Amino acid sequence: MNKVIAALDTSLAANPVLRTAVALAGALGSEVEAVHVTVDGDRVARSAAGAASVPYRTASGPVVERLIEIGRASDVVALVLGARGSPLARRPMGGTALAVATALPKPIAVVPPEARVRDHLRSVLVPLAGRDMEHHTPRAIVALAEGEELDVTVLHVLDELSLPSFTDQPQHEDEARVSEFLRRYCPWGIGKVRFEVRIGRREDVVPTVVDEMNADIVALGWAQELEPDLTPVVRTMLTRSTVPLLLVPVRVTGARELVSSAPAGTISG
Amino acid sequence: MTGMVSERPKRRRQPPLPAALDRRFEAVVFDWDGTAVPDRGADASGLRDLIEQLCEHGMQLLVVTGTHVGNVDGQLGARPAGPGRLVFCVNRGSEVFAATQDGIELLHRREATAKEDAALDAAAEATVDELARRGLQAAIVSQRLNRRKIDLIPEPAWEDPPKSRIGELLEAVEDRLRRAGLAGVREAVALAMDAADRAGLSDARVTSDAKHVEIGLTDKADAAHWAFQELERLGIGPSLVLVAGDEFGPLGGLPGSDSLLLVPEAQRSTAISVGREPTGAPAEVLSLGGGPERFVTLLEDQLERRRRGDVPDIDGASTWTISVEGLDPRLERVHESLLTIADGRIGTRGTPLLEHSDADRAVLASWAYVGEGAESELAQGADWTALRGRLNDRPLSRRLDLRTGLLRQSGVVESIQFSSRSRPATTVLRAEGAERQFPAADRRVVERPRVVSALSDTRRPGWLERLAAYAPDRSAAREALAAAERTGFESLLAEHRRAWARRWETADIVIEGDAELQLAVRFALFHLMASVADDGEAAVGARGLSGRGYRGHVFWDSDVFVLPFLAATHPPAARAMLEYRLRRLDAARAAAVRLGYAGARFPWESAGDGFDVTPALAHLPTGEIARIRTGEAEEHITADVAWAAATYVDWTGDEEFARGPARELFVETARYWASRVRFVDGRAHIFSVIGPDEYHEPVDDNAFTNVMARWNLRRGAKLVESADERSSWLAIADALVDGYDPMSGLYEQFAGFFGLEPLVIADVAPRRPIAADLLLGRERTVAAQVLKQADVLMLHQLVPDEVAPGSLLPNLDFYEPRTAHGSSLSPAIHAGLFARAGRFREALRALRIAARIDLDDLTGSTASGVHLATMGGLWQALVFGFAGVSPRGNTLIVDPRLPPDWGALELCLSFRGSPLRLRIHRGGVELDAGDELELRPRDGIWEVVFK
Repeated sequence: MNKVIAALDTSLAANPVLRTAVALAGALGSEVEAVHVTVDGDRVARSAAGAASVPYRTASGPVVERLIEIGRASDVVALVLGARGSPLARRPMGGTALAVATALPKPIAVVPPEARVRDHLRSVLVPLAGRDMEHHTPRAIVALAEGEELDVTVLHVLDELSLPSFTDQPQHEDEARVSEFLRRYCPWGIGKVRFEVRIGRREDVVPTVVDEMNADIVALGWAQELEPDLTPVVRTMLTRSTVPLLLVPVRVTGARELVSSAPAGTISG
Repeated sequence: MTGMVSERPKRRRQPPLPAALDRRFEAVVFDWDGTAVPDRGADASGLRDLIEQLCEHGMQLLVVTGTHVGNVDGQLGARPAGPGRLVFCVNRGSEVFAATQDGIELLHRREATAKEDAALDAAAEATVDELARRGLQAAIVSQRLNRRKIDLIPEPAWEDPPKSRIGELLEAVEDRLRRAGLAGVREAVALAMDAADRAGLSDARVTSDAKHVEIGLTDKADAAHWAFQELERLGIGPSLVLVAGDEFGPLGGLPGSDSLLLVPEAQRSTAISVGREPTGAPAEVLSLGGGPERFVTLLEDQLERRRRGDVPDIDGASTWTISVEGLDPRLERVHESLLTIADGRIGTRGTPLLEHSDADRAVLASWAYVGEGAESELAQGADWTALRGRLNDRPLSRRLDLRTGLLRQSGVVESIQFSSRSRPATTVLRAEGAERQFPAADRRVVERPRVVSALSDTRRPGWLERLAAYAPDRSAAREALAAAERTGFESLLAEHRRAWARRWETADIVIEGDAELQLAVRFALFHLMASVADDGEAAVGARGLSGRGYRGHVFWDSDVFVLPFLAATHPPAARAMLEYRLRRLDAARAAAVRLGYAGARFPWESAGDGFDVTPALAHLPTGEIARIRTGEAEEHITADVAWAAATYVDWTGDEEFARGPARELFVETARYWASRVRFVDGRAHIFSVIGPDEYHEPVDDNAFTNVMARWNLRRGAKLVESADERSSWLAIADALVDGYDPMSGLYEQFAGFFGLEPLVIADVAPRRPIAADLLLGRERTVAAQVLKQADVLMLHQLVPDEVAPGSLLPNLDFYEPRTAHGSSLSPAIHAGLFARAGRFREALRALRIAARIDLDDLTGSTASGVHLATMGGLWQALVFGFAGVSPRGNTLIVDPRLPPDWGALELCLSFRGSPLRLRIHRGGVELDAGDELELRPRDGIWEVVFK
């Protein structure tokens, strides 16, 4: 059976990491395994796993390399880590989480220490910038919405840069624009996913909507680079939000199911 | 039926074709003597058969020769049936004949005046005298049309030398001339030129074939000019033309006679020489040698290509071609809108022929809507473009030739497709590729609501030709398909190209100095022409026939933005648009009655039945559901429809329309306004409307609505029969408030506008255009002086005689900085108005935005179709704004504002039945038109008037 790995350390995040892993595994129909890469003892991790009745094992060696190695196993479908970075740090994810997330091409859930985590995921929020091809709605998340008990909402936040230039006749224009937006950035269809558009700065709007809809987790499609466009949202989610952040790698080349590698269409005279 | 090429003697095996010739050409322009035949006594019967068959397969053949038509036609005797034509450009460019099944038909003749004839005689005699003075006997041997021929070697041995002895002849003539102290043929030509100049022929054409010197008014270059212009009239661009001769290289120090074929219009054509070319052919000419035998081989190759059904190419000129390389999933639907081909009745998106998940196929019919009320939408026909299999990531290149409306696709499948301009609602596809990509031959009739599609395939391995016809009923669709089948691919292609070329003759705009803008303008004009039918009624939706956006509903976009272009370039299409409104006049009357008014009130959104189909609600980007009030309050549409009718009359002078249906339209719309106004304190008001600036709704006394209503009342008053109504309407018009303040020169956009929060968009927005209602939020937008688009300024665009003289500048200065340009209609209108004000930097900035709205998908919604009104606005900016063209009775005013970066601006128009071409440049204005029009300067402007 597939596994969700809960990567525990000795910090206060161990419990919310475990609970997130359990909830995520429930949604994915997977098992959970807790892993601690021993640095200076594993008492906190071991007891947390025991309390959650989650299988537990330790590994030794460099933390990042070992977690990546564990994550690469074919039966691992996601990895859950704690965010340890200082809220004011330039990289709010913390060195370990960032290094693993950028190197491992699998969904990584990053959990703030004070995260509020439910036992079962009921609501997922997917913010979507819709500027570059990297910002696709992760297909796996859309698939999750097909289940009966999980609400998935794709949130497109229009900021000053992405605000439409024209509104013409809104009774026709908005329908056309939304339809085209979804074909571009959610090309496999959104199934049962709800689509919402808000206006404002993403780092302001996303936490607000998280609260409004009482979301359990925020899922972001990303190209495994903490590019400038993504950073404010990630930083905000990990510093101001109390829900875990699930980073889902979206391949930008290769398989057509994500983004075509065909030559870009160009118009010329 | 295609015949067989007649038996010809076996020839030497010919070398393989150079790459440049390994393709289908659409026309051949060729020299006769030495190129097509060895000499004038040769048997040309085989060539005759070949030429007749090439014409039957659609090839255009144009012979360019110095001799007269009797010689060449007597030798060839071809009587082709078409669709390709055989044309003789003879007499050194002075005459053009077509060979038809009925005989020889004169197409063009350059007639010398008596003065020119006398000058030719004088020049020839002076040349002979000068040669005699130098001891050389020469003789005027012929006085042909527009030329005189002087024999430099009147000796029996050289009486009629064959082409094959050209080298010897040249040597003998040069020797003879040198003995008389002349440097050679070159000096003999120089003497003749001097003589012609002295005789008053400043533009004489002096040529030599070694044996003769000829002084003429025309030469082969004139023939070549005519030939390429004729091909352009047929929709055949130069890259599709093969030019063949045998004397391109210099002879006796003079350019070879066939080098005159290489006129500027021939650039991008393929030129070959089959002659010996003793001094070598110019670099741009492919020297094949082989003489007429080689040339005939090339023609046979071209015939074979047509027999086997090769896919024709398009011209590919950079300012006439929209190219999309590859398939970008994100932009695919945008590209399909841009590449739409349409004929006014049927529009087909430019989708790949093979299936692709990102494609959005649609075949839209302009004549019918399906569904009811706000849900009504353009009817759709069966798809005629799909082949079998998936495209996936395989190569794809699509090129749309704007000149001919041909869409050429390359990659896995090579294809050409068009929606016939000459027989609207008939479509044609020819494709070749791997057999697995082609479905089995099919013949079917598909019935969908209000559109019947009849399709038929002709199949060979790896090759398909598909014809389709669309009509409201089954029999009409089948008849149209049968007619297309009888006509055949080549004739359908020829008539389609010709029909498009004719449309461009009165519609093209040339901007010298901005190639990118040039392409964008032609792209816009193409879609404007493609979207509107020429007859019956034309419902022109906001996205034309390029997509499902706006459900094909008709807005003021069509009356105010699209129609002026058609009125000034192709009036039948404008008339068809007006017919759409006229046939819904009863619905407009009913709408007025329902609201308790008189006259006729046209709907903001219109579809099939003429009643309002504006949706009641909209899902805003903010997630809110907003009530849409334009249907109940954007009433200026009623005056806009009347304005469109007036515009048509102004450009066409169509008195029958003006006295008949238009009269009813003007009167009924005026009657509506007369009943709509309310008098308060002696002034007439129109309360609770929405102006073009839709950010504020509803408002009272919107200046645009009121002034348009005033104009409508005055126009109606001229035509209404009742004297009481006439005087009443004129009184109401005079009493209507328009918000004008003579002190400031400003019109107040609506009552209370000046009391709103003063706001300049640049202070609050990161850029323009921007949807200010989303940026600022609805509450602040409503409370601020912020505009979606031109409102007061639309008056200066539409009815400049109804606004205060000199009021453009103050209103432009006040309102434009407050305008977010959040409507795609806005930039083009401002471009034109800035141009009128001579503010070129701002004008060009706005113009470029308007030009790129679809090409760069600036709205994010081009995927659902192109923005036809913006395209019409772009034309208006150039014609009304930059060129300053406006009709005044029987006179066309031209008051241009030419930006410094443009070398010239050329406009093709049709004014009151007369086609004309205006060229505006630094030095002034030039007119190219028929004999009935002339251009005259007057008080710093120009007037085009009827003589």
